[in-house]
Amino acid sequence: MNRIKTPSNNQLDHLRLKDALSAHPELPGVRCMRAWVIVLLATLSTVAQLHGGTIGAKERAFWSFQPVKPFSPPAVVNPLWTKSPVDHFILARIEAAGLEPAPPASRQDLIRRVTFDLTGLPPTPGEVAGFLADASPDAYEKLVDRLLASPAHGEKWGQHWLDVVRFAETEGFEYDRAVPGAWRFRDFVVESVRSDTPFDHFLTAQLAGDELAPHDPTMQVAAGFHRLGPVRRNAGNQEVSASRNEVLTERTDMIGAAFLGLTVGCARCHDHKFDPVSQKDYYQLQAFLAATQENDIPRVSPAEHAAWKTRTDALNEEIARLKESLKGTSGEAEARLREQIRKTEESLPKPLPSLASIRNDLAQVTPVHVLKRGDPDRKEEQVGLKGVSVLWPSGAAELPPETPNPRTILARWLTDSSNPLTSRVIVNRIWQQHFGAGLVRTPNDFGANGDRPSHPELLDYLASELLGRQWSLKSLHRLLVTSACYRQAVLNPRVSMAKGKAADPDNRLLWHFNRRRLAAEELRDAMLAVAGVLNPQGGGESVMLPVEQDLVGQLYKPSQWHVTDDPSQHFRRSIYLIAKRNLPLPFFQVFDQPLLQASCPRRESSTHAPQALEMLNGRISNELAAAFADRLRRESGDNPRGQIHRAYLLVAGRAPTTAEQTLALEFLRRSPPKEFALALFNLNSFLYVE
Amino acid sequence: MWNDGLRHSRPLRTRREFISDGFCGFGSIALACLLRQDRARAAASNPMSPKQPPRAAKAKSVIFLFMAGGPSHIETFDPKPLLTKLNGQPRPKEFGEALYQFVKKDAKLLGTRRTFRNYGRSGIEVSDLFPHTAQCVDDLAVIRSCHGDRVVHSAAQYELFTGRIVPGFPSMGSWVTYGLGSESDSMPGYVVMPDPDGALEGGQPMYSNGFLPAAHQPTMFRPGQRPVLNLDLPPGVSMAQRRETIRLIRGLNEANPAPQDDEFSARINTYDLAFKMQMEAPSVFDLSRESLETLDLYGVGKEPTDDYGRRCLLARRLVETGVRFICVVSGGGPGNKQWDAHGDIEENHLRMAVETDKPIAGLLRDLKRRGLLDSTLVLWGGEFGRSPEAEGGKGRDHHNLGFTMWLAGGGIKGGQVVGATDDIGLRAVREPRHFRDIHTTLLHQLGFEDDELTYPYGGRDERLTLLKGDVISQIV
Repeated sequence: MNRIKTPSNNQLDHLRLKDALSAHPELPGVRCMRAWVIVLLATLSTVAQLHGGTIGAKERAFWSFQPVKPFSPPAVVNPLWTKSPVDHFILARIEAAGLEPAPPASRQDLIRRVTFDLTGLPPTPGEVAGFLADASPDAYEKLVDRLLASPAHGEKWGQHWLDVVRFAETEGFEYDRAVPGAWRFRDFVVESVRSDTPFDHFLTAQLAGDELAPHDPTMQVAAGFHRLGPVRRNAGNQEVSASRNEVLTERTDMIGAAFLGLTVGCARCHDHKFDPVSQKDYYQLQAFLAATQENDIPRVSPAEHAAWKTRTDALNEEIARLKESLKGTSGEAEARLREQIRKTEESLPKPLPSLASIRNDLAQVTPVHVLKRGDPDRKEEQVGLKGVSVLWPSGAAELPPETPNPRTILARWLTDSSNPLTSRVIVNRIWQQHFGAGLVRTPNDFGANGDRPSHPELLDYLASELLGRQWSLKSLHRLLVTSACYRQAVLNPRVSMAKGKAADPDNRLLWHFNRRRLAAEELRDAMLAVAGVLNPQGGGESVMLPVEQDLVGQLYKPSQWHVTDDPSQHFRRSIYLIAKRNLPLPFFQVFDQPLLQASCPRRESSTHAPQALEMLNGRISNELAAAFADRLRRESGDNPRGQIHRAYLLVAGRAPTTAEQTLALEFLRRSPPKEFALALFNLNSFLYVE
Repeated sequence: MWNDGLRHSRPLRTRREFISDGFCGFGSIALACLLRQDRARAAASNPMSPKQPPRAAKAKSVIFLFMAGGPSHIETFDPKPLLTKLNGQPRPKEFGEALYQFVKKDAKLLGTRRTFRNYGRSGIEVSDLFPHTAQCVDDLAVIRSCHGDRVVHSAAQYELFTGRIVPGFPSMGSWVTYGLGSESDSMPGYVVMPDPDGALEGGQPMYSNGFLPAAHQPTMFRPGQRPVLNLDLPPGVSMAQRRETIRLIRGLNEANPAPQDDEFSARINTYDLAFKMQMEAPSVFDLSRESLETLDLYGVGKEPTDDYGRRCLLARRLVETGVRFICVVSGGGPGNKQWDAHGDIEENHLRMAVETDKPIAGLLRDLKRRGLLDSTLVLWGGEFGRSPEAEGGKGRDHHNLGFTMWLAGGGIKGGQVVGATDDIGLRAVREPRHFRDIHTTLLHQLGFEDDELTYPYGGRDERLTLLKGDVISQIV
């Protein structure tokens, strides 16, 4: 029987939290940790009330609801191949299937692979040469440590988390209004990855930062998590309760997908067809958010804010008065009035810098009802707060709607060491990003309709390791990328084509490495790096690139797009470009950037002609090809052989073959260097990671 | 290369995931069999290569004439004499309640100044706003009982295009190319021609591919002679030079030490396809090859029909090259430049109608005489209709409870009226037809029943409709 938690576990957890505090003084938000602990202790008694009950075993029999078991690595026939406990789990299955693992990847392929995987950028020719020349037995481990410590690691892995939490900086729908200070959330994520914030803290800060430390700016930013979804705002909206319902639904579904790995959203309209998540469960989960209200926190002095408010209120009153006097006018008088209204509206002061966060308002808790077919007009029984029943002690009462600090309780439940989903879900995400597919290939869906784990014991081993390593994700990355499994070649000459296809057509057993195409942002960033123009500046307000006027014309309010003045900003990493819901960049779109509207657990990787058109004729690739050609001339002079050699080192991390050299030389005799540079951006050796 | 080279290609993976999800592990034999088929298909490896629908299809292409902002049913295809009689009075109680965006409960009814006449053999009534379209009425199935779930633009536009009131889901056009690929290898399979006056409230997400692979995203055409972004060569590069560059890319990629690999060859092929599009597209856009008579039929070369006429004519040319889904938008930019007649229904609708009426009739006639109408489904309508109540005296507010759309061609039996609103045009009372029924009917004509076009996403096999829709059986 799966006990959710016991008071003693909770006590231990608090000790652990305190330990983590003193062990990681550099953590963002650490100064507010003391406040966390105080609030946590206060909520402890509430959580403790829930313990002691049991639920029927039947629902819990499903694999993902079972407790995480700390499996020991199994024995293997060929232990010499293994480099880490992870490899035992992998190799045992490969051997059982009568297959053999692939030989190690070449050192050139390996440094390119691990550099892209950990930093999203290509290795420089110098880094490649250094690694090839390093004969020490731990050369690879040193490389991994250097990459994990580099600032670029935060940018690469931050992007994945931003995908998962549907990060965007505008609200979408018709106004597509800016979410104030949303870029600070992006910086919070990047910084948290860099400083290896324990994942339980990272999760808690996003779910409940405002409750734990209402005055700590970092926690206010983190809680902006709840503000990242698309929001419909309309003039004259008479569907107030429907709108509130849309917001609560979006936020609840997000928590289910990102942290629980459960598609709870399906239970909104009916009992979940596949999981033991009932409709009531869904609304009880939603009830944790019922007190949550938007909180735009001014980032100016109170005096500035007061002055701004006085002026804004006065002008708004004036506008209202003018609109009132419109009634009954016509012709020229009406036109004059309308012009006056327009001018007054234009003179409204710009919104002050502020931060989109949230707060609880226990005085106006939205009553949460079970809704028949999800329809806000068809209310059934009212519910209180409760986690998903299957993971919640049976017989434990739901908490009342006005429970203080509801999201802290939710976060505690999610990060409790006995919650079997949270740790499995996050280790699976990390596995997926390194190996191309998760152990569970549906990272947001660990329910009955999702995939079953290919290596259930390995998944549990990693989940317990993560807990044992104080939720340190960097430590998990290191564990995975230093495995022999990760260091395999893409090609496996030891297994015949027929045998491999018959035994494991999808390579779920990982008897060779999966080649992958660069993601949209990696591709642009790599082009910037190769062209030698990458601006490594991190953080701060997002950059708007020059784009086709017709594209800006696709915005309902084209004035929202103002190109960043300083052109050097246009060469910053893609994570720092604005994520505007109604104006995704075509370059990213064709290369499978998610739509920024809902959680994206896994990028597509499609292959289609508009990608070729974008790479051949698009503004970004042509501009960068010109810069790349200049760089080649600068660094290798006018000697075409030298240029070709250098170009291949930069683009593919290796020297050209004789055949490549010959073709390129032939081309350069008749064609301009910029076209050669452009062609290199289109090489499979550049677009793919071996 | 002999490993699973097409792993990156989502359609392959998807179907496999779909099958393993669908059978929950019980269908391993069927799965293995389908995997083999997938592999065979992977050889073609172009996500846009034409595919056969599961059933016999009547339509091969769709043209959606999107009247953005919400045209009034009361002024166009749904005559309401009682409403005109009740002009200026409050809505009689027996018609029930309605929630609008702006107009309040105390608003007064607004009669129409339009006059209606019976047209064609079918005798369907059409208002004087559409004298040209009226001549084609025997080809139209006029659905007078449409309804949707939201009364504000963005959400209603999302529902019209994607079946959901929130952004993030694939649009009709993306579903269609996902299901059928494209028969054109010189043009994108899914094209949107926005109104040059500006964008709409739903913005780009309304047309988008949602969670479907990027190959199914719309291509937005720009105004002018060269509508497709990235089909033009960059400044200073000649076609001959570009041919050389593409040859170099192919040469270098094939010289790569990696052995043959499905995905690599698929990628190499995209460059040839891109080059072909670049070579052939300009001739598709060149309307000068059309006869004067045809140009005149669409109202090209005369105001105020020139712009919409050009786009309708281009839509026909795209259909001829095998493009699957074309959306031709009327209305864009601030409200009154759409059919969004809050201020003055007369002024707005007279203007919007005259810009589109002749081009639409021209398109229907032209498709018909070329034998294309049988295989091209034409859909007309907006994200909602307009309120029977007056807004500010002369305008009408949004209205989602009952309004008109029409379908023609693609096997649709024309000359019919489906359903009815009540006597003041407030609510669809006879045979109410939700957007999902329109979607289901459209897919039916293309050869897909309800659950035959799905994609696994977020724990569900998602489809174009959220709830199950019904085929409008009397018109198919």
